[in-house]
Amino acid sequence: MTSVSYLLLIEDDDAIRTGLELALTRQGHRVASAASGEDGLRLFKEQRPDLIVLDVMLPGIDGFEVCRRIRRTDQLPIILLTARSDDIDVVVGLESGADDYVVKPVQPRVLDARIRAVLRRGERESSDSAAYGGLVIDRSAMTVTKDGQDLQLTPTELRLLLELSRRPGQALSRQQLLRLVWEHDYLGDSRLVDACVQRLRAKVEDVPSAPTLIRTVRGVGYRLDPPA
Amino acid sequence: MPRRARSVSWRRLSSLRVRLIAVFAAVALVTAVSASGIAYWLNRDAVLKRAQNASLNDFRGALTRTVSQLPLHPTCQDLSALAVQVASSGLAYDVVVVDESLPDCVASSDPIAFTVKQVPPALVAAVNKPRETGPGNPYAYHLYWQRVNLAGPYVVGGTKVAPDGPTAYMFKSLQNERADLNTLGWSLAIATLLALVGSALLAQGASATVLKPVRRLGDAARRLGEGKLDTRLDVEGNDELADLARTFNRTAESLSEQVAELSAREAQSRRFVADMSHELRTPLTAMTAVTDILEDEADSLDPMIEPAVRIVVSETRRLSDLVENLMEVTRFDAGTAKLVADEVDMADLIMSCIDGRAWYDAVELDAPRGILAVVDPRRLDVVFANLIGNALKHGGSPVKVKVRQDDDAGTVVVQVSDGGPGIPEDVLPHVFDRFYKADKGRARSEGSGLGLSIAEANALIHGGAITAANHPEGGAVFTLTLPLVQPPAPGPEEAR
Repeated sequence: MTSVSYLLLIEDDDAIRTGLELALTRQGHRVASAASGEDGLRLFKEQRPDLIVLDVMLPGIDGFEVCRRIRRTDQLPIILLTARSDDIDVVVGLESGADDYVVKPVQPRVLDARIRAVLRRGERESSDSAAYGGLVIDRSAMTVTKDGQDLQLTPTELRLLLELSRRPGQALSRQQLLRLVWEHDYLGDSRLVDACVQRLRAKVEDVPSAPTLIRTVRGVGYRLDPPA
Repeated sequence: MPRRARSVSWRRLSSLRVRLIAVFAAVALVTAVSASGIAYWLNRDAVLKRAQNASLNDFRGALTRTVSQLPLHPTCQDLSALAVQVASSGLAYDVVVVDESLPDCVASSDPIAFTVKQVPPALVAAVNKPRETGPGNPYAYHLYWQRVNLAGPYVVGGTKVAPDGPTAYMFKSLQNERADLNTLGWSLAIATLLALVGSALLAQGASATVLKPVRRLGDAARRLGEGKLDTRLDVEGNDELADLARTFNRTAESLSEQVAELSAREAQSRRFVADMSHELRTPLTAMTAVTDILEDEADSLDPMIEPAVRIVVSETRRLSDLVENLMEVTRFDAGTAKLVADEVDMADLIMSCIDGRAWYDAVELDAPRGILAVVDPRRLDVVFANLIGNALKHGGSPVKVKVRQDDDAGTVVVQVSDGGPGIPEDVLPHVFDRFYKADKGRARSEGSGLGLSIAEANALIHGGAITAANHPEGGAVFTLTLPLVQPPAPGPEEAR
């Protein structure tokens, strides 16, 4: 049972913001809200929430920019509110560092499920640590270090790495990873997986463009290859 | 096939080019032949007559001069001398002299070639026949001539030297004249032939000047028909063809303007619908956010208020679905619908569609695992939700879903069938039309009337298809066919 989570909602439309705040609060979350990207960033620094629900279409600084700025310093979970799933928005959003996205109009229970799933990704597991070359994954402490340096991973990136490393040498399809990591109801957007793998490689691999640890298996998905 | 070939060759025969050539050639032929013919005959007449008269007159003159030297009763020698003398004067002809009193005498200037035997009997008879003398005819015996073919064309002339004396015949060869006439004839024939050839070439040239613009017009019209509305013709000259070209250009211009206007209007209306749908999203998002709350609290409300709240909740959901569908439809119309494709196990996909809507007790699924297809899972989820939902709602149990792989066609075939009354025959062809609802009276049905049309569009965007039919044993059957592997999409590729 998770403790009450503190959410930051950044949405410019008054009615949507009020409605979502109401719904999320009823579902047991603590919600702070901001009407613009600038206000959102300010609140983020002041309040230190557990998760951010972020609308991509904001006046002033748009949602992607807010996401990027937050990611420079923090790896907390971010869920995007987007207008449509087959626009270029999603790809850009995922590349900016979001963990997941929901499409407006969103049913509060769906949003709630996603929020809880993302928060679960950060939960500790009682397992020992594993090492792959210079990469050390401490499952109990939920930290990953590379050559001694602490890696800043979002909960989604961390969970993805854990799931892949739990099955070394086994290829997992995108749909499998979506179910394991994102816990979507039914078959989801494979682009989420691709974007997350890309971000993970950028942080974990020696040469991200020539990955040796997290390999693409053409026609199947991704696989973690422990160094020989 | 033979019939086709015949009609094509008939068309060739009646084509403009052939007609022109035929006419020109006929004119040239008739003119040339008539001109040549007349020229030849006139010339022939004149040439022959000239040669004949010249030699006959000379013959007569020479005879008149030398006859006085002939004794009263000439010997054969005298006759020969006479022949030779007459023959050797002036023009080249041969002379034969005969006398009844010396039947064995062969008096000829060339005894080997010419004797009296070569003279045609009719001429001999005419020469020897005396005529009545009178006021118009002072002499009894005249000079007669005839043309014969000995070893070549000859004119033979004969006359009595003296009323009771010998008869002299002359032989004039017309070989030279004939040679000249032959040369003339050949020249005329060659000229006629050249005229024919020349006329054919002229006709070809004339037809080309007409046919080339006609062909250009034909090409331009075809290009216009193919949609290249900027096709224009160069206007050369001032004749009827130039007028035609100008008319064509004006027509093409007008057509392209109309099409541009129509396209602009269509684009504008599509943009409008898209913008509207987008704008509708914002209030709907806020309403959707609170409908759950209203629904949960409805029980504890005043019974007068509760139905009102429930109406707001359900209608908000309906409106949301409708706007979603409308947005999908505008995307398909505008051609901006994109495929987010991934390799998916079809059985898994259908299973999660059924599970996600808690239909597992109501649907019999017959789908072997391991049928992998490259599809957009979200879109197919929409398709299956629609087909299976319709089967459950409008059809009746048992609702069966069967999945098979067709290796020959490289496709996967999914059949959704129900045990209901089936689709009425008059409805069947319209079942995928937008806003077409089978039961017009059921205006409050859940569907927006767009479900099947969106399902069809989703199938098409995958390169597949959906068909609707009635099962012979009752109930409706919807068959979805999808290619197992997508053709490469033009959109942005997934980054690896």
